Amino acid sequence: MSQSPTPGSLARAGLVDSEMAAHLLQTPVLGDLLASDDGEFLQDVAGAPDPDQALRLLVRVLQACSVEEAHRISSVLATDSDTRRRMLHVLGMSQALGEFLVRHPNNWQVLSDAEGLCSAPVAAQVHDALIRAVGADPLHSEPVATHPQAADQLRIAYRSHLLGIAARDLSGMAVMDTIASWLSDLADAVLAAALAIARSELGPQASSCRLAIIGMGKCGGRELNYVSDVDVIFVAEPTEGVEETGALKTATALAAAVMRICTSTTAEGTIWEVDANLRPEGRQGALVRTLRSHIGYYQRWAKTWEFQALLKARWCAGDADLGREYVDAIAPFVWSAAGEPGFVDEVQAMRRRVEDHVPVKLGDRELKLGPGGLRDVEFAVQLLQLVHGRSDVLLRSSNTMIALESLATWGYVGRNDAAALAEAYRFLRTLEHRIQLFRLRRTHTMPEAEDELRRLGRSLGYRADPVGELHSQWRQHAREVRRIHEKLFYRPLLQAVARLDPGEARLTREAARERLHALGYVDPAGALRHLEALSSGVSRRAAIQRTLLPVMLGWFAEGPDPDSGLLGFRRVSDELGSTHWYLRLLRDESAAAQRMARIMSSTRYATELLLNAPESVSLLSDEQDLLPRTLEQLTAEAMAAADRHEDMELAVAAVRALRRRELFRTAAARVLASVEGQSHESVLAWSPGPALTDIARATLKGALAAVTAAVSAEWGKPLPMRMAVIGLGRFGGLELGFGSDVDVLFVYEPLWDADDPEATRAAFEVANRLRGTLMAPSIDPPLDLDADLRPEGKSGALVRSLNSYARYYQQWSSPWEAQAMLRASAVAGDVDLGTRFERMIDEFRYPDGGVSDADVTEMRRLKARMEAERLPRGADPTLHTKLGRGGLSDVEWVVQLMQMQYGYRIGDLRTTNTLQTLNAAKAHELITAADAAELQRAWLLATSVRDANMLVRARANDMVPTDVRDLAAVGYVLGYAQGQSGRILDDYRRITRRARTVFERLFYGWTSPE
Amino acid sequence: MDKQAEFVLRTIEERDIRFVRLWFTDVLGTLKSVAIAPAELEGAFAEGIGFDGSAIEGFARVYESDMLAKPDPATFALLPSRSEGPGVARMFCDILMPDGAPSYADPRYVLKRTLTRAADLGFTFYTHPEVEFYLFKQAPEPGQAPVPIDQYGYFDNAANGIAHDFRRQAITTLESMGVSVEFSHHEGGPGQQEIDLRYADALTTADNLMAFRLVVQQVALEQGLYASFMPKPFTDHPGSGMHTHLSLFEGDRNAFFEPGAPYQLSKVARSFIAGVLRHAPEITAVTNQWVNSYKRLTGGAEAPAWICWGHNNRSALIRVPMYKPAKGNSTRIEFRSLDSACNPYLSFALLLSAGLKGIEEGYEFPPGAEDDVWALTEAERHAMGMKPLPLSLSQAISAMERSELVAETLGEHVFDFFLRNKRAEWLDYRRQVTQWELDRYLPTL
Repeated sequence: MSQSPTPGSLARAGLVDSEMAAHLLQTPVLGDLLASDDGEFLQDVAGAPDPDQALRLLVRVLQACSVEEAHRISSVLATDSDTRRRMLHVLGMSQALGEFLVRHPNNWQVLSDAEGLCSAPVAAQVHDALIRAVGADPLHSEPVATHPQAADQLRIAYRSHLLGIAARDLSGMAVMDTIASWLSDLADAVLAAALAIARSELGPQASSCRLAIIGMGKCGGRELNYVSDVDVIFVAEPTEGVEETGALKTATALAAAVMRICTSTTAEGTIWEVDANLRPEGRQGALVRTLRSHIGYYQRWAKTWEFQALLKARWCAGDADLGREYVDAIAPFVWSAAGEPGFVDEVQAMRRRVEDHVPVKLGDRELKLGPGGLRDVEFAVQLLQLVHGRSDVLLRSSNTMIALESLATWGYVGRNDAAALAEAYRFLRTLEHRIQLFRLRRTHTMPEAEDELRRLGRSLGYRADPVGELHSQWRQHAREVRRIHEKLFYRPLLQAVARLDPGEARLTREAARERLHALGYVDPAGALRHLEALSSGVSRRAAIQRTLLPVMLGWFAEGPDPDSGLLGFRRVSDELGSTHWYLRLLRDESAAAQRMARIMSSTRYATELLLNAPESVSLLSDEQDLLPRTLEQLTAEAMAAADRHEDMELAVAAVRALRRRELFRTAAARVLASVEGQSHESVLAWSPGPALTDIARATLKGALAAVTAAVSAEWGKPLPMRMAVIGLGRFGGLELGFGSDVDVLFVYEPLWDADDPEATRAAFEVANRLRGTLMAPSIDPPLDLDADLRPEGKSGALVRSLNSYARYYQQWSSPWEAQAMLRASAVAGDVDLGTRFERMIDEFRYPDGGVSDADVTEMRRLKARMEAERLPRGADPTLHTKLGRGGLSDVEWVVQLMQMQYGYRIGDLRTTNTLQTLNAAKAHELITAADAAELQRAWLLATSVRDANMLVRARANDMVPTDVRDLAAVGYVLGYAQGQSGRILDDYRRITRRARTVFERLFYGWTSPE
Repeated sequence: MDKQAEFVLRTIEERDIRFVRLWFTDVLGTLKSVAIAPAELEGAFAEGIGFDGSAIEGFARVYESDMLAKPDPATFALLPSRSEGPGVARMFCDILMPDGAPSYADPRYVLKRTLTRAADLGFTFYTHPEVEFYLFKQAPEPGQAPVPIDQYGYFDNAANGIAHDFRRQAITTLESMGVSVEFSHHEGGPGQQEIDLRYADALTTADNLMAFRLVVQQVALEQGLYASFMPKPFTDHPGSGMHTHLSLFEGDRNAFFEPGAPYQLSKVARSFIAGVLRHAPEITAVTNQWVNSYKRLTGGAEAPAWICWGHNNRSALIRVPMYKPAKGNSTRIEFRSLDSACNPYLSFALLLSAGLKGIEEGYEFPPGAEDDVWALTEAERHAMGMKPLPLSLSQAISAMERSELVAETLGEHVFDFFLRNKRAEWLDYRRQVTQWELDRYLPTL
């Protein structure tokens, strides 16, 4: 005997509990083995997935044998290194199979049968062996079991064969697909033997029917796991001359017995569940039907998913002729349903299931359902079969791996994608197999315990850091599945339109259209044309597009309007295709490409801005670039742009281009806020108002400088006046929306030595040209300055001096005009003049002592009349964002009334911004926090809806849309999920109704009658 | 397609059904029906049948009028036919928007949403209505006083047998449609009948009530009579109420039952009652939705005009029936103000919602009223803190307008429509010069 190893050397060999191992090695039964050992025994123990477990179980197996038998095993193990390793691998992996050997040690021979184990198990031999195990004659066409403990014998024989398969598996003899097919063969044999037992239970009467067992699901696809439910369907016919009802009764008894024999737990444990729920009518339906009844059912009632299940149907036990008849009879039906209406809906529902990631509870540990799990691969393959298998019979395999291969062979899936997907699938399935082997339990959850992970990792050959490597491999494969999966549907679409290497298969145009339609494109033919234009040719550009488009197509399909997304992308690409950075940006920075896809499939406004200035795409690469820029930055850039050009037109064009870029930046940020994982609440809370106001101000400043310079140049001298632009309405309130009017007043002041009429002329000239040039048609969006709120409205003078304004408000002003002035703030031009204007109107807008009761009444009446008259005819008042119930006007009038009443004594109220004023009023306890919150919520929501309207349609609209498509698109921008159009309306109406209640109480002074 | 839909398609084939009536209910509780051929049914299951929602009371404005009715296969029933000809079947529908999202205008969806809320708390809501109605000799003619079919009273076994025959026929028809009837008898008013439906989950009961009203009116027509669910057709005879027993179950267990507790009422039951009582004024515009409903409520006798509960007290708004030993699962409370002309979907949703609110917020259970509330003096009732239910539709509207509970339960669309419609009804009523005024004032003023 060699020297007995020390705990230290055992620990180095990889045994965790080295004390225990050292102790075990002292066990007498190991004596022979260690005596003749040349040191390799311990090496092989150390090589087992779990060396401690392997050693422990080996000792128990040997102890369970008779002395002679133990000697025999020891000597074989000592000399036959293959058998030794197989034994230690199986014991080190599967506690359940080890326990089996402890109970039935003589089955160890399975592992020693070197020749048998080196070749694949032959299905027919497995079948015969199991039939014989229950004491039946495999040569008989309807074998009947004779063994008194047939069910126990079946279990023992089953496990013995399972042991053989596991040994081959763990010694790396075959890939996962093959292992799975052996497991399916074994399942067939088990079912056949169970049927033999069932016949013996039933007696001679059993022969009154012919019963065939059809395998479905993974069993049907010959891709079974070590432990999973075996899905079957039973079909039966009366034996000739037997009446049908009685025969069916017998068949049902046989079928029920088969299920029970496999499922029930005896002294030898259980085998697996037999699940017959895929039969016609499921749980409610008859367990056994005749062939005719099956056909009748499928002719009349079956639905697409049932045919899809039937795709996997395969005879696996019982009457072979009947089984084949069944499979032949069913085959024509399988694909007939695919042409029916509703088919596309079902495909789309499946796609959503495939693509949406429902985070499952065990998410992190799920092999099957988690992101990048087995289900992803299986669903993807089935979905593609469903879409294309109708017209292409070559795709109709029941086996996932084979189907994937034929999808690749015929061009429905990219070759490399298929190969990578197959590899990942094999890895994940192998992992699943190994997890199940441990206890022979049906599970597809990664274990948590360190020792279990270690065993798993080592069984896959990771030695240095089994747990870490296992996790990183798993993650990598899951990521790979996700990555390919995202493109799987889309990539071949390109091949349909691209010129390929001769001989390579490709998707036909018809198939491509089918697929695009299934993915949600309304005009597949148009989409294909765009794809063709983008990707054909041999240029580098087309090559990049071909890698880019598959992903982009998927992202477009996630937005409310995939077709527009693709069209927009084509137009931008046509424009920028040859620019050196464009495609590189999209290819290298997938975040930029994804943002672009989201923007283009949801907002026409931003898309149009982008089409006129495609270079703005570059903003999308960095999140930082989506943050609004400060007024100072914008102003500096606008002034510099104005300064650079002597020609006014060019100068203003430069300023307007700046504006366009900034509008795109803001629009993009708004849309992306809702889709990049932000909560619905935070989407609403982020308001683009300040950013949009800053953009308008910088634009005005730059343009004003350019126009002033131009007029001054024409006059040949400095202009004899100073000028300021005053913002009113949302502009003055620093809360512009995408579709807001830009309300302004122009005020000037003659220089001290100037001639007044000349100053007036200069001011008018500047103001007039400023408006003209900012509105002039160009590729940039016009900035429409609206000066209608000036004294005397449209018929009044466009410009007035500061004194003239002061005189006017002193003499003529109505409460209504004073109210409009609440939001007046200087936005551009001479700062000192602007400030003096603001100070001048303070006495009107914040009248000393507050407003008179008569004026309050006047305001209330005016508001009441507006509610009745200003609302467009037929408009639903609950859905009008501006004038409707609880809309913007309600909130703003409450706030403005408080400003007029208390502004003279509470400085904080003297702001032009609605929400800021509301907060000040709350701080000064003019309004309760609860009321303020209701008003603010409604105001933000109404504002967001108006912004979303503009973004979606590129057209201002004050109504919450009622057209379902528009509503869904607006919902998308607001952060609602799909299928919630009813909820958007309900939310809008509820929030504004509450604001209205607050408004009525605070503005009209209504009190509830309680 | 699910199994239930397949079952329906198969049955239609096997029973030779030629027409399928798709039923749904407008916001005011009127049954609407559209008949389709069986061939269209499969499409209806998949996508729904399009119709113009603006034509239905409370469903949609003209511009958003496209809606879909999607039959619920679980409600499939054969309609009894008078002859041996091909059969007719019916199903209730869910109303959808054109994109397939559920419509907030659909009363059935209102109830379903509320039931989902209850389910989230682990509860199923059961209801058991006792429906009263009058039988008249003929259909109403303007200006003619209605003539009841008999002059019998409570539990009378009428000798002329008209009422008896009627009830037998009505019950047979209902049973053949799968609507189980528990009990029926002659009620207190001349020609007045009561039929009690077996208890079932609230959605089934509401569906059953819609079928019930139709069957009663049709059987009456077949027998040359006229049936009416008007809450108060006679000034001097009792009105037609719909006392409804309510209970919550947690799985198989009655959540209202707690052995040993006062009246065997669990904490859940007590809070539920407290919730219904506290919110009773707000929900009355829905549970008693017509101008005429308030003539019944303020009419004395068994009408529950005050907000209180009593143990076996028939003048209280909520009655807790006598506990029967060994019948824990039948523990329930009886809500007594509902009338037979309500919209059962909306009413059940609001009752449930008010009760759940009581449970969620742990409302204090008020002391019960042991006396006949009608017999108390105004001051006594005041001293006991007993508030009246709204005295008129107008008061009920005011109470409802301010109710967040009602708005949230009904959804903004139904809430808004309902209030508008009821305000209009009240305005129209208010300008009427009634017979009573003419009789009283014309001779003297």
